[in-house]
Amino acid sequence: MKEAVPLSPDVHLDATFRSPDGRRAPRSVLHNGSAAMDVVTYTGDTLPAQHLASALAGAGFEVSRFRPVERTLLDTFDGRLHAAGVRLEVRAGADLQLIVSGGGPTPARLTVERLPAVAGDLPAGPLRARLAPLLDVRALRPTVRVASLQADAVRRNEEGKAVVGVALHDRPTGETGAPLSALLMAEIVQYEGYPRATRQGESLLGSLGLTRREGDVLDLAAEDAGIDLRGFVGSPTIRLDPSEHAVAGFRRVLANLADTIEANRQGTIDDIDPEFLHDLRVAVRRSRSILSHGKQVLPADGRDHFRAEFRWLGTVTSPLRDLDVYVIEWPGYVATLDPDTAAALGPVVDHIAAGRAAEHGTLVGQLGSARYQGLMTAWRAWLDPDAGKTKLPKKSNRLLGAVVAARIGEAQDQLLLRGRAIGPSTAAEELHELRKDAKRLRYLIECFGGLLPASARKPFVQRLKALQDNLGEHQDTEVHTAQLKAMSQELHGSPGVTAATLLAMGRLTEVFDRRRVEARNQFAERFANYDTKQTARALAELVETVS
Amino acid sequence: MKVLATYSIKGGVGKTTSAVNLAREAGVSGSRVLVWDLDPQGAATFFFRIRAKVKGGTERLVSSKGDLLEHVRASDIPGVHVVPADFSLRHLDLHLDNRKRPTERLAALLTGVEGRYDVAFLDCPPSISLASESVFGAADALLVPVIPTTLSSRTLHQLASFLATQDHPPDLLPYFSMVDGRKRLHREVMAELRGEWPHVLATAIPNASTIERMGPERAPVGEYAPSSLAAKAFGDLWAEMAARLWP
Repeated sequence: MKEAVPLSPDVHLDATFRSPDGRRAPRSVLHNGSAAMDVVTYTGDTLPAQHLASALAGAGFEVSRFRPVERTLLDTFDGRLHAAGVRLEVRAGADLQLIVSGGGPTPARLTVERLPAVAGDLPAGPLRARLAPLLDVRALRPTVRVASLQADAVRRNEEGKAVVGVALHDRPTGETGAPLSALLMAEIVQYEGYPRATRQGESLLGSLGLTRREGDVLDLAAEDAGIDLRGFVGSPTIRLDPSEHAVAGFRRVLANLADTIEANRQGTIDDIDPEFLHDLRVAVRRSRSILSHGKQVLPADGRDHFRAEFRWLGTVTSPLRDLDVYVIEWPGYVATLDPDTAAALGPVVDHIAAGRAAEHGTLVGQLGSARYQGLMTAWRAWLDPDAGKTKLPKKSNRLLGAVVAARIGEAQDQLLLRGRAIGPSTAAEELHELRKDAKRLRYLIECFGGLLPASARKPFVQRLKALQDNLGEHQDTEVHTAQLKAMSQELHGSPGVTAATLLAMGRLTEVFDRRRVEARNQFAERFANYDTKQTARALAELVETVS
Repeated sequence: MKVLATYSIKGGVGKTTSAVNLAREAGVSGSRVLVWDLDPQGAATFFFRIRAKVKGGTERLVSSKGDLLEHVRASDIPGVHVVPADFSLRHLDLHLDNRKRPTERLAALLTGVEGRYDVAFLDCPPSISLASESVFGAADALLVPVIPTTLSSRTLHQLASFLATQDHPPDLLPYFSMVDGRKRLHREVMAELRGEWPHVLATAIPNASTIERMGPERAPVGEYAPSSLAAKAFGDLWAEMAARLWP
């Protein structure tokens, strides 16, 4: 350890900063902890925090008293902020501060009354405008917590201007109250335009025997607790080998989907945000679809049973998801109505909220049921290649790449065959079936994306997605029209429901119906744009490396 | 990034105090803020305790080699950075005039910091000049402080008439400044102007000795008198502007 800077016996540590000329320093400096991105931190295990504070004071820093501060990192379950290079920290001390760093040289800061759960909880302004598109409907959750005794030190120039700061953390503890692997942390607070002062601060901390490290106290807490700040990555695409046996690849894809189902179960039960249920349902649908695609390679024994059970799981989750879609899309639905008509729909909003609460209660029961537990336990066992002897179909040991390429080709043929038969007067059910065909193809490409070149996947999926968007709009508006009509009947005669409400529901139904007709009219052009030589070429490029 | 210029043809109406205090309020309510002091007096620079120095001078700053980032200094207010002024800005018109498209130069310099900040405040000197036209070319909105007197109201009309001659004029966001509610004239002018200009912002900044203390304190009001009426007024004014600009 290097020799410590001599301590000044006259150092007075005060909570109120004073400028060199005796004036009170700006209030914000007291809250001016470290910028979370590109933070330079020094750690120590032997130097007492009070001694470091005294040393800083002796070197001309103004140092506040140590006070308890709790810092928490917030992100969505799937780490959207982390993925976007944004960091949202909450600092609870004398007040509650949100600090958003990343995407610029200066963090954005905001004092709040309570923690925001969703983007809509933030006040109107640029911060909300920046975070809302990243968060979408996802809720913020704490990912890492640190508590420490914190003191802020700041050094000023001759103008009384802060040029470098140090945030000291004495004996930081993690989530469980366990001490972190460093007893003392000192984060350098950089001030843009004053690099020399930053270097001097770093040099001072280094001379006190502290060790430089990247990241701040929250990074250390995450590291100590083994927390992956990337969050849950529920991608259906996993690493696969085209030359492995098909059954092994299908099993691994399905096991990955089972992980997604399980990972999203608790969030659905706790009703944290609607994406948990959405992701759970998509994983269920993908599982059913891949089971179907794997008919010739997966064990026949149990396959139909699991398809039926996943159909059940899909069915019991549908009512809540339908209502979630209503809640999410509602502002867009009513935006086309005049304010009076929109206001008359108040009882409908209440009805949807009440229905949603009831459906959530029902679903919580289903997700906690013996049937659900039995399904997932048996499913894991069925997917485990080492769990007992299972009779495999003859084609199970074919090469995975060849099987997947063949399935993609067949799925595309099926889609084209059905789509080409659809004319202006074809029943809506056929369009719904076509939507299922498109999903089956999409799921194959996503779940076996590990075999396919990423550069070829994107152009093809873009073409498919353009068709899916049209089919989705058509079906969704049809479903919503039917639901709204049903709700109209349920609400008729209910207390508080006036003629104005029923008329407004009629207006909203008309909006849906217009959109449905528009989507139906656009279908022929969308399908023609998909059914082209370019799409065929894009598909050929997609599968040529594995077929 | 929204570019907001505190601007008035008339001097002494509270442009700089508005720029400094609104920047502070924007900073403490979650915005990443850049204040560009364009006034050779450098009052905003002084209030932020930053040395009045344009590195290399204004001529270099507005030249093709100019880069705003080189000049940025962090203030003591969280989230607020400053491009300081110095006396060389008195020749800003001249230096702009030497460029091919003078009225586009400030906008071009600001594109260099796009994405790093949510909002840039330009603190402009009074008058209508080439520099003002360059500010109009760069700004999304002009924040115009209006003292509720006959002369101030007249200059607001002059500004509106001038902007009407521009191809892509910025939005005009007038608000009352240095208001003394005890004066009948202030009350009458405010009522009259609100009738004539419905988009005048609802929040008015009072004429307060707390604001005058910015000089000795060298800080925005919210830093040394956070509970004062003036600090609250600047906070409310920013909230009103933010709700309009980021609905």
